[in-house]
Amino acid sequence: MSAVPVQPVSPGAASPGAASPGAEISVQVQTLDYFFGQGDLRKQVLFNINLELHRGQIVIMTGPSGSGKTTLLTLIGALRSATTGSLRVLGQELVGLGNRQLVEVRRNIGFIFQAHNLFESLTAAQNVEMAVELTGNLRQKRQRATAILENVGLGDRVDYKPAALSGGQKQRVAIARALVNQPQLILADEPTAALDKQSGRDVVTLMQQLAQEQGCTILMVTHDNRILDVADRIINLVDGRLESDTNPQQFVEAHTVKSLDHNMFVM
Amino acid sequence: MPTPLALLNLIHDRKKFLTSLAGVSFAVLLMFLFTGFQNALYDSQTQLLEQFNGDIVIINRLKENMFVPRSFARRRLYQAQAFDGVEAAYAVYTSDARWKNPETKATRPVRVIAYNPADPVLPMAEVLAYQRQLTLPNTALIDRRARAELGPREAGVVTELADRQIQIIGTFALGTDFAAGNGNLIMSDQNFLRYFADRGPEEDERSFATADIGVLKLAPGTDVDRLVQTLRQHLPQDVLVLPKDGPEGFIRRERTYWEENTNIGFVFSLLTAMGFVVGIILVYQILYTDVADHWSEYATLKAMGYGNGFLFGVVIQEAMILSVLGFIPGFLISALFYNLAAGVTGLLFVMTLGRIVNLYIATFMMCLISGTIAVRKVQRTDPAEVFGL
Repeated sequence: MSAVPVQPVSPGAASPGAASPGAEISVQVQTLDYFFGQGDLRKQVLFNINLELHRGQIVIMTGPSGSGKTTLLTLIGALRSATTGSLRVLGQELVGLGNRQLVEVRRNIGFIFQAHNLFESLTAAQNVEMAVELTGNLRQKRQRATAILENVGLGDRVDYKPAALSGGQKQRVAIARALVNQPQLILADEPTAALDKQSGRDVVTLMQQLAQEQGCTILMVTHDNRILDVADRIINLVDGRLESDTNPQQFVEAHTVKSLDHNMFVM
Repeated sequence: MPTPLALLNLIHDRKKFLTSLAGVSFAVLLMFLFTGFQNALYDSQTQLLEQFNGDIVIINRLKENMFVPRSFARRRLYQAQAFDGVEAAYAVYTSDARWKNPETKATRPVRVIAYNPADPVLPMAEVLAYQRQLTLPNTALIDRRARAELGPREAGVVTELADRQIQIIGTFALGTDFAAGNGNLIMSDQNFLRYFADRGPEEDERSFATADIGVLKLAPGTDVDRLVQTLRQHLPQDVLVLPKDGPEGFIRRERTYWEENTNIGFVFSLLTAMGFVVGIILVYQILYTDVADHWSEYATLKAMGYGNGFLFGVVIQEAMILSVLGFIPGFLISALFYNLAAGVTGLLFVMTLGRIVNLYIATFMMCLISGTIAVRKVQRTDPAEVFGL
């Protein structure tokens, strides 16, 4: 069940998934099934997922609601424990890990949510410092928080509380919090859903830029068509199965109005 | 220093924070009042006994508590005086008598305490100052802290005690207890005879042949327990010889009687426990609301890699902060109430360090229990659920 030998290219991944030879693999998913519930209510939500994410890639995951996107994201994020198949994240096999070990794995991953989830009682810097404290680096937490907030363009808002920040600014603080420990993997769930067009654009550009600087992998679930262009790769999940794995151009062509067929209206 | 998340979360909403503190203070106040009344009732029973100027007490074997009007032969005191180490043996006479309120003319029971004014039996400065005047016939001192039903408690009052005229020549401060009725009077032994030697066929005749309480003053450095043993062996068995203080002492015995033979303890312990439970519910509400309001933030912390231990710590810290900051105003208001209640009832309300510490521990436990209940909610938080909210 565990320790499946690492293959350079997974069979499911077509041309966009295959990065240049020698690129590190951040996430490797093999024959992963996942079930919700127990007994008679047991329901399979993920079917035989095979996927590889390479270092430095920005991957967008789309799909209708209920297709299992979020479930896959939380499995990769070590927020749920997988029991079958193989799930290697940053070189660590997650299948069969205990809760305590999963917490350890999560410390190397940056999470960005649809809601900013900032503590209203803490300033922007303090919210970011909460993440730095996980590393035990108490002495430099203030400098590091200030530095990353400057990076996301909030150098003049360091000591503001969330109530005094706009929606886009709050999301940028949340991004700063996710990035401050320089994680190698960032998981984002609809990070732009609550933002207007311009703020949403700013946020993804920022993520793209920081990903390039720090060489980290980003896996982002989104329905927001306005930001698809930042992706190196778009994977589409339907009914718990990997439906397609393409680059943005192909994806847009495949999903334009021209190719509408009656199946799209059957819900 | 780690970010003080617990403190900042608590004080973020000032209004809510003050309401929370008021809630905790109220629970603290309830506990202080109920334990205060309980202690006051117990402490008051022994406040007269504490004042006696001696180390050993002799009473009639049948005098189970201060209510029982049994006296013993005064010659036992002379016998006791013969033993080494006994410096003086004072006879104290007590009796209940009806006192007429000079204003309303209503009669109320009071307790009269009498002894030879030449002896410093009750070494209170005010009492000692009246040593000479007390020898005048039909005079007495009245307790300023006696209940208001007795009328004005001041020097110069002339009224009736046991149907005889009495003149109040001064006051002292002692306080009431169950056996004292509405208050205490102090008079000389000579005057005691004037009032109680012959009160008619239905009342006991009193004389100097019997005393109610014998107080032995010992020479400095005398071994009290050994002397008590010696006296017990040599004095006839109709009297009980007790050290005044100590776990086997006269004061402890009186207190134990009231603790074990009345419902005071049960009633007030129940009320205190209710204050405690009210506090648990209040603090639980406060903490639970905080957890519920910040549910997704706490879940995010868990996703970031904070363990359950950290979140447990935050909630418990909030509980501790509430217990400290709620206790202080609760304590101050209670101190005020103690003063008021002492003034009205004449009972002894004492705020000792031990009692404050005990109640703080109770408050701490109260918040800890609430915190432990509330924290289960955070620990059940599934960080996976924050996605897609």
